Amino acid sequence: MSLRDRYRAALQWQSRAVLGRHLTVYRRNWHTAALPPLLEPIILLLAFGVGLGGFIPQFAWRGHAVSYLAYLAPGMLAYTAFMTAFFQALFAAYIRMHYQKTWEGQLITQVRLEHVVWGEALWAATLGTAYALIVILVLAGFSLAGWLHLHWAGALLALPLLFLAALAFASLGLLFTALVPSIDHMNIPFFLVIMPLGFASSTYFPLEGDSLWTWAWLTLNPLHHLAEGVRLLLLTGQTDHHLPAAGGLFVLMILILIPIDERLLRRRVLGEG
Amino acid sequence: MSMADANLQNEPVLLATGLVKQFDGRRVVDEVDLQCRGGQVLGLLGANGAGKTTTLRLCYGFLQPDAGAVQVAGIDRRTHPEEASRRVGVCTQDDTFDTDFTVRGNLEQVGRYFRPRPPALAARIGALLERFGLDRYADAKPDILSGGYRRRLMLARALVHQPQLLFLDEPTTGLDPQARLEVWELIDTLRREGLGIVLTTHYMEEAERLSDELLVLREGRTVATGPSQTVLGDLVGEHMLVLEAADPAIPAVRDWARQAGLPEPTRVLSALHLALDGPGLAQFSARFGELRFEVRPPTLDDLFLKLAEKA
Repeated sequence: MSLRDRYRAALQWQSRAVLGRHLTVYRRNWHTAALPPLLEPIILLLAFGVGLGGFIPQFAWRGHAVSYLAYLAPGMLAYTAFMTAFFQALFAAYIRMHYQKTWEGQLITQVRLEHVVWGEALWAATLGTAYALIVILVLAGFSLAGWLHLHWAGALLALPLLFLAALAFASLGLLFTALVPSIDHMNIPFFLVIMPLGFASSTYFPLEGDSLWTWAWLTLNPLHHLAEGVRLLLLTGQTDHHLPAAGGLFVLMILILIPIDERLLRRRVLGEG
Repeated sequence: MSMADANLQNEPVLLATGLVKQFDGRRVVDEVDLQCRGGQVLGLLGANGAGKTTTLRLCYGFLQPDAGAVQVAGIDRRTHPEEASRRVGVCTQDDTFDTDFTVRGNLEQVGRYFRPRPPALAARIGALLERFGLDRYADAKPDILSGGYRRRLMLARALVHQPQLLFLDEPTTGLDPQARLEVWELIDTLRREGLGIVLTTHYMEEAERLSDELLVLREGRTVATGPSQTVLGDLVGEHMLVLEAADPAIPAVRDWARQAGLPEPTRVLSALHLALDGPGLAQFSARFGELRFEVRPPTLDDLFLKLAEKA
């Protein structure tokens, strides 16, 4: 199968059927499933933004005086899209693949492995975006309470990029799903790669430095670009190089990782390749 | 081509030729040919690791063959995989229904994995639920079903899109005798309705009871094919001699068998089995007429033991 066919599979009906399957299951459990994405940002914003932020005086961020709560809010948006998609593509997809045999049940129909992979990635991206939207609603509540002043048009503009980000991090999650020997081994990528990446990306605190390492990390880290770009958009209504940089890196991640995911999963699930 | 057309022309609904599959350099399936017509049950037999499940997976498209071709109702699987898969129903060895859905939800969901969509899907699902005795569990999750009903759900799931060809990978493994009998009856009915069925099984009784033709695999290669009596005659022999393994004359019997160029007798618990043709039986009777022994026709159990011994 050519590389073009692998990408084209994203648009085929079988990938939509797999995505539809996950959506159907989620819709049935929405009342319990929607509780964590709603409560988590409220708790974190109150604890860190309002509570801890009360002890942090306003500081200068790229020439603007901001409170810690205002700094944190856009970072949390980026972090939510990133973490939700990654978590879904790692743990939930692994459970469907290994324990529930959902993938095997799909692969004995007209659905092929490339569709299962795209369906999982698109679902994780959809969920990541939906959870980010819930965070936006929570931020709207904080704005109504007078704690935050954000440019709301910017939030809506950020949504397509948040979807792209979630799709990219879902493809990273699927890479680990293909690689980890068992569910217990997921702690390794989660705590050694994902947690550090999630925090050291200008999401919860500013990251600056003059060393070559810091420069390289910040230049190549798509989550840093996303957090900084969305922050500027929400706090000032402006855009800069961070948003296109994030978009470019996310597209690159998707184009590189999805074919690798498929190849590794083909070996894992079918024993081929 | 519709199922009726395929049956009318008596063309095979499955024609696989020269199938080869390697894993890590080891040939798991080696030049296997198989054929199944509408209304026929083809049984794949072999010891563990003989390549039965891999052969089945190559035929239903879960795996791609390294060499060889598979045609489903005249459609080449390699060039038209979707069209071929549309005509195939699969009941896997493990339960692969979707545990996030109810019994009815499973049938609805599997219908969404096929194009063109199965016509009159809701009515079809209702009919399948009733036919497989699943209607009273329609709104329950499959977790609560007994082993027999789980198999029924797997079968119903495989039939939602009205396939012409059904693959059953060890359909009754783990079932109690009553549930096994019920599944056999369902398979019999499906055969009578014109479905081509390819099954693998470890149960010799099941293979004898259900299969019109057998294909025996050993280490990925076909060692015999045909109706069960032909296969048994080819691989085991015309008669099976059963002797007491503790009989003091057994070493003499072993020597006689060796000198006559016969295969080594097989030890089964306290008995010794020796396969013989007609003249061999006459010679044995003349030489060991004083011994206590039983003569019976060979069964697929004898074949299975022979295959397991070789493997």
